Amino acid sequence: MSGPAPEVVFDDVSKFYGEVLGVNRVTLRIPPGITSLVGPNGSGKTTLMNLMAGLIHADRGVLTVRGLSPRAPEQLMRVLGYATQYDAAPRGATGMDFVTTGLLLAGFPAGEARARAGRALERVRMQEAAPRKVASYSKGMRQRVRLAQAIAHDPEVLVLDEPLNGLDPLVRAETIALFREFAAMGRHVILSSHVLQEVDIISDQVILIANGMIIAEGQIRSVREEIHEHPSQYMIRCREASRVASLLFEMEHITQVQIQDDRLGLLVMTRNRREFSRALTRISLAGHLVESVVPADENMGALYEYLIGGER
Amino acid sequence: MSDAARLRQVWMIARLQLMRVFFSKRSFWVYLLALFPAVIFLGHGVEVKWKRERWGAQKTSEAALQSIRRGDSDEEVLRKAGTPVTDFRSESFRRHRAHMDEGGGSEPERRYMMFFDGANRWDLRFENGILQNKRSRPLNDFDDDRQIYAGVFQYFYLRLAIFFGCLGIFMNLFRGEMLDKTLHYWFLIPVRREVLLAGKYLAGLMASVLIFGMGAVLSFVLMLWPQDAAQLSAFWQAEGAAHLFWYAAAAGLACAGYGSVFLASGLLLRNPIIPAVVILAWESINGILPTLLQKLSVLYYVQALCPTPPPVDANAPLLVRLLSAPAEPPPAAVSVLGVVAVTAVVLWLSARAVRRLEINYGVE
Repeated sequence: MSGPAPEVVFDDVSKFYGEVLGVNRVTLRIPPGITSLVGPNGSGKTTLMNLMAGLIHADRGVLTVRGLSPRAPEQLMRVLGYATQYDAAPRGATGMDFVTTGLLLAGFPAGEARARAGRALERVRMQEAAPRKVASYSKGMRQRVRLAQAIAHDPEVLVLDEPLNGLDPLVRAETIALFREFAAMGRHVILSSHVLQEVDIISDQVILIANGMIIAEGQIRSVREEIHEHPSQYMIRCREASRVASLLFEMEHITQVQIQDDRLGLLVMTRNRREFSRALTRISLAGHLVESVVPADENMGALYEYLIGGER
Repeated sequence: MSDAARLRQVWMIARLQLMRVFFSKRSFWVYLLALFPAVIFLGHGVEVKWKRERWGAQKTSEAALQSIRRGDSDEEVLRKAGTPVTDFRSESFRRHRAHMDEGGGSEPERRYMMFFDGANRWDLRFENGILQNKRSRPLNDFDDDRQIYAGVFQYFYLRLAIFFGCLGIFMNLFRGEMLDKTLHYWFLIPVRREVLLAGKYLAGLMASVLIFGMGAVLSFVLMLWPQDAAQLSAFWQAEGAAHLFWYAAAAGLACAGYGSVFLASGLLLRNPIIPAVVILAWESINGILPTLLQKLSVLYYVQALCPTPPPVDANAPLLVRLLSAPAEPPPAAVSVLGVVAVTAVVLWLSARAVRRLEINYGVE
């Protein structure tokens, strides 16, 4: 069956706010799954999301969301849900009104709109607060009601600006589970987050952006593999840490070996992952028991540090 | 999506937006503008009614007042007409009496009496006890009041109240939401931007027509309220309903025209002061513009619909007379079509602008 390509595609997209650069010559193909946009404040994350939702328009280049133009909201907003960082509930509206109104405007019959709104609010654990006015909600509740509105029409593409901000740990875990569920159905979940540990846990792929330009994109591991300037770090657990360390240190690609305080672990830095893997095999075959080998810098924190720097 | 579904969206957006227009804090002064003339006419009506009732208690027959002649003494007048409503001796008279008592000069003693025959007040002026002047005038002149209403409607209501009221209502439809950081809500629902524009315009139009149409009708009714019953009856039988209709129509069409202009301004410009000043200046000099340019104005068409020409003060400065002089009025049908055409063109331009409009709260 042929249909619109299930990708979000940026083709040489630039956006300027007057003289100020928003994003510059961005070319991306975002596949379904959970994609995290990571970058410092003002790097262009929200600009990318606003471009996808048609809230702003590209000055150059072409952008499509699952084959749809962001300039056609009548079609796009049926497949896209966007939870922005801004409140937009009409004055005096309850949580239920807020979500239902969006569905009614989308053309759902009243009964179905209420049923969908109820389900969406339940998904974000807001069913009890639904009859209350949005104005009385806490920051976390507002965050959740915006998420409920974004998911209520069952969109194919979910765009979320800092969706985990202000959520308590339980709701945070449930929200992440919700994203995974969406992604498992072949949908897009595109989010921005400052919490790099969460990005590590939830993301199928990441997009690192700084100063309006894409620094790296892809799965965290493959992005890490592309970074050659920084040696790869591994944490090795073994009984004979000192002996293994001396064996490793003889190899040319090993730049640093640190023995842990408990003398049962090593932090190893290598410039050649493949050679390192072979070396470990040889060491194991020589009778030195290696219990585990874990990459120590295949995470967002390390990628961020290597590619963007300290500022978050 | 079908046209019927889009029309339903327009109506739904308008309904949601209406609440915001009616109950927004920014709308409060719009009500004041719309109701100000009604308050003035209510005050006038209460004064006329109160005087009629109070003076009526000391009513003098018209025949008795007609029998009074110049040269009659004040005592004769009091014998013929009875007790006046007011009887006033001037301060100079008291000074004169004191002066005469001291053997001073010959400044005349003055006395003023006012009688009421149920419809007219009669003002009599005496000097040294002899009637010098007798003048009667209606307590309330219907023709004068209609002229005053025409003046208030055209100079205040059309040129200021509806103008600034529509500025407040229609500029806020998009610009206000941009300032409140809520506009993205509308942009994230599956509706065409043109549909959103139509819904918001409809909301502004319904609100402004209701507020200013009702304000115009209320003022008109309050202007009629203290009038003589016989005159009123004759007025309603002749032209009353037509006058009321055309005033309401002019108010409604002014809302439609100015509304579209300010909606477009709200889409294109951030600062409402600039378009307000430019459009106000353009509308004000409409009467002295070349004929072709006169037609690019809302005021040109709507003031032509007003059934009574406004009073023009011949003693006013030339510039004021020029600015307040209406342009040569086109026929009513041309006026209505003219406003509709101006509105349609401006809304078409607005539709083009709203398609390009971006959410950019950071720079607001």
